[in-house]
Amino acid sequence: MENLKEYFKIATRNLQTRSLRSWLTILGIIIGVFLIISLLSLSQGLKKTITQQLRSLGSETIFIMPGDFSNPMSMFMSGSKLDKEDIDVIKRTRGIESILTMAYQSLITRYGEEGKSILIEGLSWEEGREILEKFQGWTLKEGRWPIPGQREVVIGKQVETEVFKKPVKIDSEITIKGKKFKVVGILNSLGSKQDDTSIVLDLPIYQNLTREKRGTAQSAMVKVREGSDVNKVAEDIKENLKATRKRRAGTDVADFSVITSEKMGEIAGSILMLIQVAVFAFASIAIIVGGIGIMNTMFTSVRERTREIGIMKAIGATNNAVLAIFLMEAGIIGFGGGIGGTILGILAAKLLEAYSRINPIFYLNSSVTPGLILFGLFFSFFVGSLAGFFPARKAATLKPVEALRRYE
Amino acid sequence: MSEPIIKLENIWKVYQLGKIELIALKNINLEIRPGAFLSIMGPSGSGKSTLLNLIGCLDFPTKGKLFLKGKEISSLSENQLAQLRGKTIGFIFQEFNLLSHLNALENVMLPMTFQGASLKEREKRAKELLMAVGLEKRISHQPSELSGGERQRVAIARAFANNPELVIADEPTGNLDSSTGKKIMEILVDFHQKEGKTVVVVTHDSNIASYSQEIVNIIDGEVVHNHQAASKVLWKT
Repeated sequence: MENLKEYFKIATRNLQTRSLRSWLTILGIIIGVFLIISLLSLSQGLKKTITQQLRSLGSETIFIMPGDFSNPMSMFMSGSKLDKEDIDVIKRTRGIESILTMAYQSLITRYGEEGKSILIEGLSWEEGREILEKFQGWTLKEGRWPIPGQREVVIGKQVETEVFKKPVKIDSEITIKGKKFKVVGILNSLGSKQDDTSIVLDLPIYQNLTREKRGTAQSAMVKVREGSDVNKVAEDIKENLKATRKRRAGTDVADFSVITSEKMGEIAGSILMLIQVAVFAFASIAIIVGGIGIMNTMFTSVRERTREIGIMKAIGATNNAVLAIFLMEAGIIGFGGGIGGTILGILAAKLLEAYSRINPIFYLNSSVTPGLILFGLFFSFFVGSLAGFFPARKAATLKPVEALRRYE
Repeated sequence: MSEPIIKLENIWKVYQLGKIELIALKNINLEIRPGAFLSIMGPSGSGKSTLLNLIGCLDFPTKGKLFLKGKEISSLSENQLAQLRGKTIGFIFQEFNLLSHLNALENVMLPMTFQGASLKEREKRAKELLMAVGLEKRISHQPSELSGGERQRVAIARAFANNPELVIADEPTGNLDSSTGKKIMEILVDFHQKEGKTVVVVTHDSNIASYSQEIVNIIDGEVVHNHQAASKVLWKT
């Protein structure tokens, strides 16, 4: 033990005497670990947020959206809508408790002197409020819900303070597309930037405003009655919608998606998994490149210090002692890089998180778990030691007389 | 008669340089007994460094048997040999061979580290040795801050660190001016006389050889003469 302490001292001294090279090698590991820690903590945070949101939906929810779910672009780009007949068909499907229909688009909204383009959401209050309150977890921070049919709006949490220069107050007036509305409520944060920066009003009022046909919707959310089979209900909705489409247009190509919350969770989960695997793979490559850097540095070091190794062996250093010294040097580089990379990685993830809270584009959470930190440290130490093993073995097995014969 | 520290029995050392065989040592028989002060002399290329490496157990013979404290070295593992060598033999090199990033004290402590001595022990012994070679004021100096003679004195202190029975010096004064070289030899003789250490010096300088009790002449890999030194400069009889 005493010996190991001494070898450690010798190893650190050796690194110090080649400080520039040591630091550059450490930097290679720092970058790798930095990437692993920052990207993994952010993707873990993302996973946590999405899982929480999906969990809040409960398992008995079905989403009906225009476009094909397996092709996300078509969902955003398609102009298709659920018309009145579609919605009626959904409502008539057996096993449905309540339905929330929705439409949304960005509209110029003015408050005081200021005008901004804000996402305006029309929601079917009368039928759908239960879904919003019970299953989506919508709560009011202040004020009350709008009365259906009235020109009243509730605003997202960030609309109150961050979107306009002047804070928006309850009972103040807001102008959307030239029409005046009264702000009656302010929502608590819903956990996504998009929701928190939007304005919500009754769907028929929204449709008056945008001159969209009454009774239509862009998407719908359905709550299944207790005891009904969610998958069966979803399947029925799909079949019914297909049948109406066929009758109307003569085609049974589905231009809508019916997805249960469970299925949505699965899809999101597998996408997130894929992201994490990709992040891990890329960051690992960075660490491995760092490891090769260590190996390179250590081989150079063994070459340069051949004579020194010869001297140490002549004065009694065993192969194991030389191996230990060189392994420690590589381990210190790896571990040092691990510590630096972990600190910088956490810092970067937390900074990004803070930045995303200030700038209303998206919420980004980082999840830094002790496991992740330990993983970063162990992984870098492991890579360092592994990369150092071959150079260290080379040093340890040098014959003293040959090592001494070579001059620096 | 006491057991020899080193015994060479019909030792051959042959180097294979491509297709050419170079015979460096031919059938050497030599015993180094405790308390001896022996010089190995010969012109360059005569095989004296090869012989020294074998006496120091840094190398293995091509043929023949080499014993360190009665143990044949080829029967020992590399780690065992390193341990035994570190304990039994101290080395002094022509180029001093101090580790440049360690200071004088640390350089002297290093052989004891490899033998597992405690920090306290190492420090105490290293300071004593540095004092004995007159470097008590230089203990925290790096080798680059020391003169050639001072470096060699640190190397001598290092060679005696583990209290070895045998100290091997390879041209210890080769890189020093004659007056400094003389001082170095005096220190070596002093250690030999006061502590009864066995000393083997390799040199091509007959002045240096004259400090020893016994001279081994080697030419073309063969021992041609093994005699008592004719005149002893410092020898007090």
